[in-house]
Amino acid sequence: MSRQTKLFGEKAFDLLKELERSSQTIPAFDDDGVRQVLEEIKAIFEENVAQASTYNTSGDRSLWPLLNFRHAALQRNKRCLLAYLYERCKRIKALRWEFGPIIPGDIKQALCEPEVTFFNNYSKSLAAYMCSAGYNQGLPIDLTNNLRPPKSLYIEVRCMEDYGKFELDDGEVIHLKKNSQHYLPRAQVESLVRQGILTHIA
Amino acid sequence: MFVQDLRNDFYRQLVGKRILIVVNYDIDAICASRILQALFKYDHMLYTVVPIMGVTGLKRAYGEHQGDVKYVVLMNCGGCVDIVELLQPAEDVTFFICDSHRPLDVCNIYSDRQVCILGDASLEENIPAFETIFYDSDGEDEEEEEDESSDPEQQHNDSGAGESDQEDEAPKSRKLSRLERHEQRILKQRARRQWESERDRIMFEYTQFSYYGRSAALMVFELAWKLSKDNMDLLWWAIVGITEQLLLGKIESGSYTLELEQIQSHVSRLTNKTNDQNTMSASKITFENDLHLVLYRHWPVTESMRYSRYSSCQLKLWTLRGEKRLHELLLEMGLPLVHARQTYGAMDLVLRKEFFSMVERLAEKYDIADIVYGTFTLSYGYRSRYAAADYVYALLAIMESVKKHKTPEDCFLEASDALSRQHKQLLSAGIDQAKLLHAAVFRQVQSSLEARQVHSAGSFFYYVLQEEHAFFSYPYALGLLARFLLRGHVATSRARQAPDLPLIASCPLDAAEGMCLLVGIVPVREDSPRNFFGKAFEQAAQKSGVALLQDFFEPAVVQLRQSDLTRFLDSLTVLLT
Repeated sequence: MSRQTKLFGEKAFDLLKELERSSQTIPAFDDDGVRQVLEEIKAIFEENVAQASTYNTSGDRSLWPLLNFRHAALQRNKRCLLAYLYERCKRIKALRWEFGPIIPGDIKQALCEPEVTFFNNYSKSLAAYMCSAGYNQGLPIDLTNNLRPPKSLYIEVRCMEDYGKFELDDGEVIHLKKNSQHYLPRAQVESLVRQGILTHIA
Repeated sequence: MFVQDLRNDFYRQLVGKRILIVVNYDIDAICASRILQALFKYDHMLYTVVPIMGVTGLKRAYGEHQGDVKYVVLMNCGGCVDIVELLQPAEDVTFFICDSHRPLDVCNIYSDRQVCILGDASLEENIPAFETIFYDSDGEDEEEEEDESSDPEQQHNDSGAGESDQEDEAPKSRKLSRLERHEQRILKQRARRQWESERDRIMFEYTQFSYYGRSAALMVFELAWKLSKDNMDLLWWAIVGITEQLLLGKIESGSYTLELEQIQSHVSRLTNKTNDQNTMSASKITFENDLHLVLYRHWPVTESMRYSRYSSCQLKLWTLRGEKRLHELLLEMGLPLVHARQTYGAMDLVLRKEFFSMVERLAEKYDIADIVYGTFTLSYGYRSRYAAADYVYALLAIMESVKKHKTPEDCFLEASDALSRQHKQLLSAGIDQAKLLHAAVFRQVQSSLEARQVHSAGSFFYYVLQEEHAFFSYPYALGLLARFLLRGHVATSRARQAPDLPLIASCPLDAAEGMCLLVGIVPVREDSPRNFFGKAFEQAAQKSGVALLQDFFEPAVVQLRQSDLTRFLDSLTVLLT
């Protein structure tokens, strides 16, 4: 039979390879692949059950190694599936840190229903944690602000468009005009950098 | 007011303040501002850098930041204009001027607080004394009002009358007749007129020539050194700054040599200080004798020789005979044509190592003795090795690579980025651009000389480009072209006084507005960068009634209407003969 040319576990392995190789932050959930692996597991299991029952009745140990082998294949498929799901969960967690509590539309399409729920739950618990982590109650700390410890308190930025006046915390007023270069406190201009009004120059 | 102690009177004043740095469009200024920015970064001082082009740019930039900043640093701009009058700043704003343009404006020099010029007053030449150019006009008015009483009194004091019996004298002097008083007034007026004409003469002598002082980058680097915050990068920027001065003829070769010695000591000190032995990451600056060939490390030798001003003009490489002579030279050097025609980097290693000595050996014979000069090279890692001149040419090309989607400001920032070591690709792009520029200059020179487009107006040459050009509509490129052209013309001309005559080159700037750019350059035989065209342009414009736009900080670069050009040149001819 042509189907027999395929090895056990190949599908599951492909699933993982696909995930690993994709260049997107998170590829679309491979519904089809997962289903096929599940089917394979089911088929293996049914065959094993059938043969195990004959062993039980007849006590014929000649099929014993085959049984063991099938079981190992089944276990492997299961591990692969779990790894697939776990890796995706990890990426979804990273999403929360990078993009904040709302998933961008194009990424949302790639997630399946339970994953979205997972994201929401994760987001909720993170928010709850951030609220509780505030030193003086009521002021939550935004842990997602500095993912990497900043090297210096100030950064050198270049203005990409005419923004107008920008006031710093200490009252200094900076005139942000296209093509001017400034050296400013990182914390206060971070949002402008994210908006693309300023760019950080190394 | 001059500030000599940069560390205490300039830098210490600024620490902790917010600063506006206004930078002119030239490489020296870019280098200086980069060094200054590095210093400010160490001390966490907020600053804003604004590139500007010309006086109107300066005015606009200051207008935008007015009220927000109290300390303004002007890099290579503003020294030659009366800052207080131009910008009308509030009382509490202080300007620090770091400008290599000379002569400095006398109002800036004698400003008592608001304008500080970085530099050493004793190095400045023949600044007019205060009393010869400023008349105490407040005192004057009082005198006029109290003419009756105080004036004669003064007269007496001057004539040595005793102080004690002044009161006795005073009533007596009142009795001076009307006639005498009238006489006195006339005498005073005459003295005043004399003083005024004397002042005009002094001011004319002072402002007659425009020239250049010390490189701003070098000055700021010395500040960094005194603050013990210097490093290899800063030193390299200073070197690039001074090399720009050399290549654009802004510095005499004598003072360049003097500066070289000082820089050399900085180089050896810093080399010993950094103990980074890893060749991959260490940057190393070395002093060496190099050749005045543009970008020859990045170009085939034949191309570089042809496109360099000095070698090309000495050998007349745009002619067929010159071409033959070049081949002769290569033959005698023992450099096979196959190698000479491929990029220097791909040449045989042995030939590459011997190239300098080969040229040096034959320099005398081929009358290109001045091709050797002392300079610095920067090696970084294994592959990149740049002479300071390579940097200058590349940055110049980047700065003038204005295109439709690329404003001059973009070009400026790109040039400033290309200075740092992380942006090697920008620099190599700049080098490619510079190659195009030099090739274009050479072709233009060749065709212009063949068509005899350099005309003589008796006391100067002039050259008028008729249509807009992608390269030459910018001041530096036009300057390069003019210098090359003048040298080439002098080399071919038979007239004996040709090396003593300056050249004016003009190129249309903007066809739609009908403006054109005018550049005046000094004669070939002149070693010093003293250029009288700035003042001459101004006077010729006054006489002919042509509207002249002296917006650039280089006085010898001006803009005027294309239609006024002939009239302007005529009046200049009259003025200079």
